[in-house]
Amino acid sequence: MKIFITDGSVEGFYAAVFDAYFETDCIISSDRHIQLALDNQVVNVEKNSEKFLRIQNSINRYDKYAEDDILLALRSNDLHKEQTAFNYIRKLFQTKSPIRKMLSLQEVIELNNILYKVRGEIHRLKGLLRFMENADGILYAPYTPDNNITDVLMRHFAERLKNQRFVIHDLKRKIAGMYNGINWGVCYVDEVQIFLSEHEKDYENLWKKYYSAVNIKERPHEKQMKGSMPIRYWKFLPEKQND
Amino acid sequence: MIDENKLKILTESAKYDVSCSSSGSKRANKIGGIGNGSVGGICHSFTPDGRCISLLKILMSNDCVYDCEYCPNRCSADTPRAQLTPIEICELVINFYKRNYIEGLFLSSAVFETPNRTMELLTDTVEKLRNIYHFNGYIHLKGIPHADGDLVLKAARIVDRMSYNVELPSEKSLKLLAPQKTKQSLLLPMKSLDNAIEYDKQNKIRHGKVLPAGQTTQMIIGASPEPDGQILKLTEALYRTMNLKRVYYSSYVPVVQSNKLPAVGAGLLREHRLYQADWLIRFYGFNVDEICDANENLSAEYDPKCAWALRNMHLFPVEINTAPLETLLRVPGIGAKSAYRITEARRYANLDFDTLSKMRVVLKRAKHFITCNGKFYGSDSFAQVKHSLLITDANNEQLSMFSEPSTALSALTGQI
Repeated sequence: MKIFITDGSVEGFYAAVFDAYFETDCIISSDRHIQLALDNQVVNVEKNSEKFLRIQNSINRYDKYAEDDILLALRSNDLHKEQTAFNYIRKLFQTKSPIRKMLSLQEVIELNNILYKVRGEIHRLKGLLRFMENADGILYAPYTPDNNITDVLMRHFAERLKNQRFVIHDLKRKIAGMYNGINWGVCYVDEVQIFLSEHEKDYENLWKKYYSAVNIKERPHEKQMKGSMPIRYWKFLPEKQND
Repeated sequence: MIDENKLKILTESAKYDVSCSSSGSKRANKIGGIGNGSVGGICHSFTPDGRCISLLKILMSNDCVYDCEYCPNRCSADTPRAQLTPIEICELVINFYKRNYIEGLFLSSAVFETPNRTMELLTDTVEKLRNIYHFNGYIHLKGIPHADGDLVLKAARIVDRMSYNVELPSEKSLKLLAPQKTKQSLLLPMKSLDNAIEYDKQNKIRHGKVLPAGQTTQMIIGASPEPDGQILKLTEALYRTMNLKRVYYSSYVPVVQSNKLPAVGAGLLREHRLYQADWLIRFYGFNVDEICDANENLSAEYDPKCAWALRNMHLFPVEINTAPLETLLRVPGIGAKSAYRITEARRYANLDFDTLSKMRVVLKRAKHFITCNGKFYGSDSFAQVKHSLLITDANNEQLSMFSEPSTALSALTGQI
């Protein structure tokens, strides 16, 4: 059985789909620590713009919405995301028409399960991301998301905080999205040093005060709180720090 | 920057207002502006009582001239008072908003001086927020009863949602418990706002629409003797005649000592059942008459949909592969999402029980009411079906836990 290893990029993945399409039994993965069996044959896939375009065009020919879903699924931290997306693409090419609404197909169910998680986290972080203001008035938000969603969040916040400048920093993947008031981009950023503005601590305290005042103590329901706001996100929430 | 004690007083006076949703408005941001609306609404935090924080929910003042029996801010109550200026509120909103703490502002107020003066200051605040601070995020404004119609309409052109609380489910109870408010002072402005919304719709006005996220209201359950059937009738009438987006219920708990109020609370289970019935009316195509008789209360044991299904066993089981959407929606355990998924999926393939559970349709209750390709996996015995519906409902224990009087304060409601 052949195992196609990609570099994790979309170009690499589409090239792998191109190469693997006519294999009867194969796996596509970007996971470099994948468990190999004795008869496995590892193929390292190179980026290839011709193969990329051919696959992309075919996907768009059959379903103009499918590529958005596939790109979103590739942001997931799921180890089988490439294989799941590959199965979906293969099914799409065989059917030659949109399969997104064939909700009982195994390929569609599996892709939707991944999308459910990625979309869920995007929605959650639109609410739970926290900015702090530095001395120059630039807003800085560190976070460690499960999935690689920084550019999706950038699009949301660039529209929302149009008259501000801000940085969203994924500490886990060491990438940061930056917006300068006009346009935005994402690049590699390792460590940063932040000098907070003089009012930052005061507003943080006001927010903590508000958080404890709006709670109805006589009606505790922590389980519900933790279900909606899992503990792994608390690290960057001022209202959840006790100091 | 505002004083943190003021913030504490005015937040604690506002926290019993039930509504905190930020959905329904897709207001766009402008160049040089801050904020936009998100149609689905976004929750920004959750408090240990399990409720979400979406909007900065705050009173402008809690110094009230009214004396409503049930309200902790009534003029005869001995409680610390505070008031904020429009500028203070604007600064707070902008600074919270840009740190992504909140989705917008929920501004309410006790009636100080006169209703018109209060409404004027509220309108002034939201106007400043929009025009001077260029804020395009979500704003929910409470309507002040007895305020001038022109003032209210002016505010309605600025904000996304407004709400007048009907407070109590009947005019008689309103007279007894909130004598300064009349049915007319609550329903007339609601109706004139609805007319304004309708006018914009008819004339296809795109920009500067009145209340893009519509109106809501809220009432206290159990402070007065009305049965659930009557409450739901009122709810249905409000949805039909006022086109409300939501009716909120809050179960009464005795915090304020008064001989006009009952000594025991209504319990959160009752509130929960009313919300379930409310959803059936809005999203599942039920009429109130099917759910509950006018003089009856909802069943405590079964949720309203199960109770309806148990009364109408002759309509079941229904075939998943052929039943129309309206019928699927009436199957206990199948919600709006599942029903939609089923209707989409079955256009391409025949569905069996195995596929249904893979599609995340929960069959625990539904299996007693459906067939797949003629196969039935539920129980034939009515008693057994009844029992299995009951067990799934035992989860609601959590809700009744809070209904003891010792857990006071709970769910007491609106200020104005």
